[in-house]
Amino acid sequence: MRHVLLALLLSPVLLADAAAQPASATLTVTSPTITAGQPIPKIHTADGDNTSPALIWNGAPSSTRSYAVVCEDPDVLLPPTNPQPFVHWVIYNIPASAKGLPAAIPIDPAASMPADIVGATQGPSGFRRPIYRGPAPPPGKPHHYHFIVYALDVDGLPAGLTRAQLTEAMAGHVVGQGQLVATYERKPPTPGQ
Amino acid sequence: MSQTPTRRDLLKLAGAAAGAALGPASDTGAAAGAADAGQRTRSRPRPPRDPLVALTPTEADVLDRIAELLIPSDEHGPGATEARAVRYIDRALGGALADQRRAYTVGLAALERYARQTRGGPFLSLSETQQNSLLIDVESGTATGANVGFDGSSAAFFTLVRGHVMQGTFGDPLYGGNEGFVGWDLIGYPGVRTAVTPAEQKLLSPPTRVRKSAYDSPMFNKAIVHVKPAGSDRDAD
Repeated sequence: MRHVLLALLLSPVLLADAAAQPASATLTVTSPTITAGQPIPKIHTADGDNTSPALIWNGAPSSTRSYAVVCEDPDVLLPPTNPQPFVHWVIYNIPASAKGLPAAIPIDPAASMPADIVGATQGPSGFRRPIYRGPAPPPGKPHHYHFIVYALDVDGLPAGLTRAQLTEAMAGHVVGQGQLVATYERKPPTPGQ
Repeated sequence: MSQTPTRRDLLKLAGAAAGAALGPASDTGAAAGAADAGQRTRSRPRPPRDPLVALTPTEADVLDRIAELLIPSDEHGPGATEARAVRYIDRALGGALADQRRAYTVGLAALERYARQTRGGPFLSLSETQQNSLLIDVESGTATGANVGFDGSSAAFFTLVRGHVMQGTFGDPLYGGNEGFVGWDLIGYPGVRTAVTPAEQKLLSPPTRVRKSAYDSPMFNKAIVHVKPAGSDRDAD
């Protein structure tokens, strides 16, 4: 009886909260070249070509009007005054028709985006450039790289957003979210190097 | 679409520095010119090279390409290649900047190893996109941990080269760069003037361009440094 009363008392609160925050679907995120929990291939790192990986997602709700993708490393938290995961990639305004990202997004800001994601734009990463720069961790332990995909019920976000600005712009507009987490580790130099 | 500084932004900053003779002062993201260069390809033949003083031909080839990517020749005018920025670097490393010769030896060798290890071939064999991508890795310091032999951070080597390319493009031609004053023309620097008319002070019209080295004027003394063999002191005259 007591539980029923509590449920009755709390239910309006829960309903009100649900109205404020749209239900967020869970997206499935995969990659043809990256396996969850496994080391990222060198081609996507500073020990290789440093080209961005292809991503594939599904499960976004019909209210999706655009996608945003962020890659970040929570094993490096900067700055000390307001620790946040180190950002390797910010790309957004990806059209709702996209089912993923092709590999090797251009690093030349003047280059046009691939046909499937025309309109997408890249924001500055922790390396201060609006391009993908892959893992380049200090040696010592494996780092974890989170490729996070957000489905948004808005599009046409302003150009040049950082991760923090993108988070602010997305607030209240995330209708779906998913991530692919993989690792990378650099070995310390061998003696004589 | 992005807020990456363009080559034009880079040159504006360089223009401010050029007025103070040598010594570029930009701390803008330095491979800005590199990224901005994108897929442009060289349309003009490279001018013949003068006999080298300090660099090896291979080092000069790589430096020529880096300088070209940083300050390319394009629709805005000639770039570091036409300015002979690498001739400036070569002469400087054989003279006033001789103490930085080792940094070039080590840095260029490391860059070459990094190219082969990460992109699968010598730097000069890579596509323009790969070369730009590689330079961004060197600039950002992420190439450091690849264990290819950079002395300290790869970013320090990039900063060194960028500074010298800027100096060679926009500095006084006496030092071997800024051939034909192309660097000054590029940024609209009017040149060294020993007198400014009242009309010029009022900025009523663009100042008349003076295309003379500062050392063509008897009021400036040449500051050429001769370097003695290692271990001995320098003399300047």
